[in-house]
Amino acid sequence: MAVDVLEHGQLEHHEVAPPAYPGGIRRFTKGGWLRALWTTPLAFGLATALVCGIRWGAHWDPVWDLAPLLTAWTIVTPIGFLIGMGAFDYWFYWISGQRTRPEDHSAHGADSWRDYLRINTDHKVIGVQYVVTTFSFYLIAGVLALFVRAELAQPGSDFVNTQSYNGLVSAHAGLMIFLFIVPIFAGFGNYVIPLMIGAPDMAFPRLNALSFWMLPIAGLIMLCGFLLPGGQFAAGWTNYAPLAEVNPVGNIMFQMGVQWAGASSIATALNFLVTIITMRAPGMTFWRMPLLVWANFTTSLLVVLATPFLAGSQFMLLLDRVLHTNFFVAENGGYVIGYQHIFWFYSHPAVYIMILPGFGIISEIIAVFSRKPVFGYRLMALSLVAILILGFSVWAHHMFVAGMAPWLRIPMMITTLLIAVPTGIKVFSWLATMWEGRIHFRTPMLFAIGFISMFVIGGLSGIYLGSVPIDIHASDTYFIVAHIHYVLFGGSVFTIFAGAYFWFPKMTGRMYNERLGKIHFWTTFVAFNVTFFPMHYVGLQGMPRRVADYAPQFADWNMVSSIGAFALGASTMLFIYNVVVSWNRGEPAPSNPWRSMTIEWQLPSPPSKFNFDEIPQVVGGPYEYGVPGARHAVFQGTGVEVKEPEKVGAH
Amino acid sequence: MRKSLIIQLLLLGVVVGAISAAVGFLIPWLPELGSTQGKRIDDIYVLTSIICLAIFTVVAAVSIYTFFKFRAKPDDYEDGAPIHGNTVLEAVWTAIPAALVTIIGVYSAVVLVKNEHVPANAPVIEVTAQQFVWSFTYPEIGVTSGILRVKEGETYELKMQSRDVIHSFWVPQWRVKQDVVPGIETTIVVTPTKTGTFPMICTELCGLGHSTMRTSAIVLSAADYDKWAEEQKSAAEAGGAESGKQVFVNAGCGGCHILADAGGAGEVGPSLDKVLPELTADQIRESIVDPNKVITPSYQPNVMPGDYGDTLSDEQLGALVDSLVSTSQKG
Repeated sequence: MAVDVLEHGQLEHHEVAPPAYPGGIRRFTKGGWLRALWTTPLAFGLATALVCGIRWGAHWDPVWDLAPLLTAWTIVTPIGFLIGMGAFDYWFYWISGQRTRPEDHSAHGADSWRDYLRINTDHKVIGVQYVVTTFSFYLIAGVLALFVRAELAQPGSDFVNTQSYNGLVSAHAGLMIFLFIVPIFAGFGNYVIPLMIGAPDMAFPRLNALSFWMLPIAGLIMLCGFLLPGGQFAAGWTNYAPLAEVNPVGNIMFQMGVQWAGASSIATALNFLVTIITMRAPGMTFWRMPLLVWANFTTSLLVVLATPFLAGSQFMLLLDRVLHTNFFVAENGGYVIGYQHIFWFYSHPAVYIMILPGFGIISEIIAVFSRKPVFGYRLMALSLVAILILGFSVWAHHMFVAGMAPWLRIPMMITTLLIAVPTGIKVFSWLATMWEGRIHFRTPMLFAIGFISMFVIGGLSGIYLGSVPIDIHASDTYFIVAHIHYVLFGGSVFTIFAGAYFWFPKMTGRMYNERLGKIHFWTTFVAFNVTFFPMHYVGLQGMPRRVADYAPQFADWNMVSSIGAFALGASTMLFIYNVVVSWNRGEPAPSNPWRSMTIEWQLPSPPSKFNFDEIPQVVGGPYEYGVPGARHAVFQGTGVEVKEPEKVGAH
Repeated sequence: MRKSLIIQLLLLGVVVGAISAAVGFLIPWLPELGSTQGKRIDDIYVLTSIICLAIFTVVAAVSIYTFFKFRAKPDDYEDGAPIHGNTVLEAVWTAIPAALVTIIGVYSAVVLVKNEHVPANAPVIEVTAQQFVWSFTYPEIGVTSGILRVKEGETYELKMQSRDVIHSFWVPQWRVKQDVVPGIETTIVVTPTKTGTFPMICTELCGLGHSTMRTSAIVLSAADYDKWAEEQKSAAEAGGAESGKQVFVNAGCGGCHILADAGGAGEVGPSLDKVLPELTADQIRESIVDPNKVITPSYQPNVMPGDYGDTLSDEQLGALVDSLVSTSQKG
């Protein structure tokens, strides 16, 4: 069988002698951490000198002004770091007209853990880098949430002052959204999509590496806000003007942090689009693509079209503060609600950016573990496209009480309610896929079913909020907090856990501990509901969101939520323990432990450096379970030999 | 076989539906109702609940049933039936939700139009929001207060403006909410129907004092309201200068500062009970007019509005300072 050939056949023609490590002083001029060690502070110094020099020369007082300094630092220092790491080396050779070095693939693939800590062009390495980095930010943002719940466990001011509290809430949401949920899906996509469509790598591997390295920069910028005078950015993750503009300088860390995260996101999305459009294996028509690929395709379209609006909104805030423009300064003719329109024109599609890849993961998992084809495959794909299109026409439903043009509420309400239809199609089709299946309740499947039930609750509370009159009562209350956690935690995070368990064997070559996985699921499921379900009630009863203190009547349910939150934190420890132990000592994973049909499972676990000895021929749909003799892809053994990965990819 | 399957599922659906309905309707999810607008919102809330709980029941029943019924044994390597879809079924579950949400949408639009209808001659109350205090001006009476007082059964138009950042007006019992936005005027239409004192809460994050930016909305019977209005009117006509304590209340000082004597309970700025005894009259005046000049240790500049020197008249400022001085001497 072709699979066997792959498992044993190593890619000898790719084995290139590792480049001789330069010694002495040259270690500091070659791209890597040692070079970043001096380019980063150098860039920092240049930025400082530039700002202070201009201010001194122009006789502006004070010469040392944090707002312009932070702006310059957060732009220039990361560029210095990236140059030091070697992210731009190849392009610099081109630009300067130097002879480019022949591609020796020395920056590709991982032989030891050190290869994960440098600029690496292998999509599988980048995928792991993404997942591990973003999960670290999940832990940090989770700890911030525990601080929040500790403060809210009882009425009154217990641990932190109110401004610190606002900073904790804002940083929790900012990190969860921009450093965890959005990018971790890029991580899974990076690892899985080229394998699924039969491509040797992403279309632009160097851009891919750059996309990843912009991400920890964004996270560090946001975290540094805690160290600034006046504290962390504290106007919520929505960062509404004019509060964002009158808050202390920490707010710049949000404005600039999301620029780096957004740039990373846009570059990755472009990469996905080009990869999916141009690098599918022969026979992989759009109607034969796994739904995860469909999901990332639509998500990437959302990202490239919407994210520039986020960048714009934050740059306008920054310009108002640093260059004294008046975009949102009402007393000088600025238009305060304009900020919200621009912000939500990104941030509503962002909701779908954070859930569509999850839909894709769930479709894969439900089909495999139910041993049945995805019910209504084409309608499933088309409903993603419907969400993509409708997703751009609903943004102002976040603004029903904002004071925008009153007539705009009606069309926005109609589109908002209609977007429930394609979402409903997906839920019903998943249920129909499971119906009369032969379901194996492994951990990924448990998380998938948990996702469906929690996401339905989040979706239905969304119907309430879609109705303008109900939203007028429920807007900006804990009902909203409950709703977003049911769609983002019960929704997105459950799909992330499902995907993490599902592809763990492929990514690490080891099996995770099934028993621990199941305990993790059930504790997460219960703790999640204990934490967030009561919030529906306290919200409708009259507790506003983003408050450090609240009326005593809500004390009991807030205590319940806080207990649930700490249990949720504890359940995450189980996951970490399982991952760490299994990654080191787990049972070796077979190439296809789940008996899946999609291409990534036809390769060894983990796949070899260049993925394929031979590009597969796709001959059927991806979910033909139960169809006698059906195949999704075949390796003919005599097919196209992979000589140069890039050339094959570009066919 | 197939028939018994459906009967089992239906039974499960009835049980799940009963539990969902109990959770949805026996728990009083909404606070007590206190306005005509709220009544219409509650009606649409009930309609939406019926639709959503029905959908939830279907999904939950099928999920639970699937969870127990289609479980494969660990050594079962068979696949399920290769069913790829069913066009009729897919059309049904596209059309029915579309119809249901359209019903909710149309009904919502009707409620919205009714709720925002302002009758001719509706009394106006001017609402001003600033960090972190509300104030309400009654043009007909000519007074300003930090507490909202309205007459039962009267339809009011609240015209709202913000002096700094975005705030949001909410009285949960009235079910009305509207952001108060710098640069534009927003309105709320409300007809209170229940007498009593209700919390009035800022629901848009407005800075470090956001959680303390709350006051009361008091709904009075027609007789009580007229009596209160008369008192206010005659006090204003008598030309008596506002007492310093009144200035303190109406300018909203208590939203941020503790001052036991005048009911101030905010914890955003320094407690005046603590800092006043150490200050002279001139220093107190300076701290009101130019609050950034001297900052109490552990507090931040640029939090307190800097324009009290403009918004308060000289008489008001004088009365306020005098009363603060005498308060501190008492203590």
